[in-house]
Amino acid sequence: MKTTNIRIPKDRIGVVIGDKGSTKKRIEKRTGCTMDIDSNTGEIEVDTSKIEDPLIELKVLDVIKAIGRGFSPVKALKILNDDYYFEIIDIKSYVGRSSKAVKRMKGRVIGREGRTRQLIEELSESFIAVYGHTVCIIGPPTEMAVARKAVQMILEGSEHGAVYSYLESKRPEIKRDKLGFF
Amino acid sequence: MVKWGIAHVYASYNNVLITITDVTGSETIAKATGGMVVRQDKDQASPYAAMEAAKKAIDEAKEKGITNLHVKVRAPGGSKSHSPGPGSQAAIRAFARAGVRIGTIEDVTPIPHDTTRPKGGRRGRRV
Repeated sequence: MKTTNIRIPKDRIGVVIGDKGSTKKRIEKRTGCTMDIDSNTGEIEVDTSKIEDPLIELKVLDVIKAIGRGFSPVKALKILNDDYYFEIIDIKSYVGRSSKAVKRMKGRVIGREGRTRQLIEELSESFIAVYGHTVCIIGPPTEMAVARKAVQMILEGSEHGAVYSYLESKRPEIKRDKLGFF
Repeated sequence: MVKWGIAHVYASYNNVLITITDVTGSETIAKATGGMVVRQDKDQASPYAAMEAAKKAIDEAKEKGITNLHVKVRAPGGSKSHSPGPGSQAAIRAFARAGVRIGTIEDVTPIPHDTTRPKGGRRGRRV
């Protein structure tokens, strides 16, 4: 028995389970793990002893964490693909603990009607979720680095225009990397 | 015969360091870094560099009789990034492909309960 405990926000527990347990079943089927979910506390016990691929063992936890941090299960399951990565950026480490400041920064990352978030996602070809006091990114390594830098720029106070032009300037690099390394 | 070793994988955004030791962790058997296998500095942390470095280290370790590996992944931690860079996954993949059995995979990033001030100062890095 090899188990790991993770805790996710209570209002995301329902998403991990899904309609009549469909999402939970899907995750278990794709990875081979078994999940024991406590819906009162938000605690999830993941049994990874039956997983054969050692890398998946590590990635299941990221998938569950990603759903807990606001991603839809469809996007979170992309982490299981080869060379997809998941990362959490804490807004608090940029603006301090004040909930007003965190809220303002969330708004800056999302933009009016989600325009900023959408633009970063499109130009860097990765997925972004803003939830609670975190911004999370899912994507391949090069794309992810670009998205991370863009989000960081916003959190550090750059103007949106500056961030957009940074993203544009990185487009050729992303395209080149898609063709393969070197 | 089964001989266990520990692979310490330190994956930052700038490089990947792989050290294979015996189970006590004090006796180094093989080591390789991302910088040893690529020419350009910006590629040091890439998954490709991690794969090549892992291969290099595991080849040497296998020669010395290592058959099974526990993996300890770590990010810079402390006041720096807590999530391992892109090299960690590629390195583990490479270990698995090289034909050694992998035991536990553990995240050993040092996470402080409180922390020292991150470098850069109040006004951040001015470029």
